[in-house]
Amino acid sequence: MFEQDDETTVERVIQHLRRPVAIDAGLDARVMQAIATAPPQRRRVRPLWPLLAAAAVLAAVLIARPWNRNATKADTLQFVLIAPQAASVALVGDFNDWDPARAPMQTAHGVWATVVRLAPGRYRYAFLVNGVEWRADPSAPAAKDDEFGTPSSVVTVGGRGS
Amino acid sequence: MILAALLLATQVAAQDPRLERLDPDTRSIVAAIVDSAHGIGLPVEPLIQRALEGATKGAPSARIVAAVRRLTVDLGTARTALGTSAVQAELEAAVAALRAGATPDVLVHLRDVRRPPLTMALSVLADLVASGVPADSAAAAVLALAPKARDADLVEFRRAVERDIALGAPPAAATSVRVNAGANAISTQSSDPGNPATPRPRRP
Repeated sequence: MFEQDDETTVERVIQHLRRPVAIDAGLDARVMQAIATAPPQRRRVRPLWPLLAAAAVLAAVLIARPWNRNATKADTLQFVLIAPQAASVALVGDFNDWDPARAPMQTAHGVWATVVRLAPGRYRYAFLVNGVEWRADPSAPAAKDDEFGTPSSVVTVGGRGS
Repeated sequence: MILAALLLATQVAAQDPRLERLDPDTRSIVAAIVDSAHGIGLPVEPLIQRALEGATKGAPSARIVAAVRRLTVDLGTARTALGTSAVQAELEAAVAALRAGATPDVLVHLRDVRRPPLTMALSVLADLVASGVPADSAAAAVLALAPKARDADLVEFRRAVERDIALGAPPAAATSVRVNAGANAISTQSSDPGNPATPRPRRP
């Protein structure tokens, strides 16, 4: 009995499924209408930051030019001369065209000092005291080849681990 | 005539304006030397600075011209030894080393054992000689340290030798002792955590 009922039920389901599906004739029109009136999808913009980052790295490399032996880093040096009696002291050398007006030193209780930023290289320099007296830097190597009869010193700014 | 005047005007205009600080006679000779040096690819800034140093120190014209001319020759010798890839700073330091007594062969050897820049190594060599170290001892010391030492190591080496000399040690002996100590320090310094990270103005 139960098997009879089951077969009947299954048969009815099969017949129902085999029946052609009746589609509303206006369905296509309504779908197309909905598509036409749908809000436009926002266009996806590819992010620019990878390109900008690459450009920045390229610019930094081009500016720094690590393969260029001239492009080594500068160094900041403090020059000091103890001259309590001096009225003025100027630091002059290869780094300022030997122009006393360009590097007057500041004093505090007779200790004259100035800070100069120098690119790598070997520089000759001297202190000009009161505009007339040349003095070498007692804390720096002397310039051995002093061809002008007054003492000078040398300072070297390296480019590798200095 | 007009062409000659134009050429002269062009040449004068091409002169470095800083040379105006020289008297006219000195200026014309120095400018000619500078032009010649430029023509053979030598750096001219050291020549100009040497002329300006002489002018500021009130040196007579002949002495300024001689100094600039001598420097030109020495820059040429330095470039021959170090090669055309040597930069201005290296050539200036090489001139100092040559004048201190180093031979061109020492410069060539240094170029072979140390990667550039050679500026500090050459300067330390010259400075050691200025401190009284015999030129051959200074050259041997720098060549021994050059392959592995950093610039800072070489500066510290020079200071140590100068301290020892100031305390009475014979310069050659002080150099020899410090070469050995320096070689040991170089091998251990790379692991030293006490190196300051913040740059401060250093002293010459």
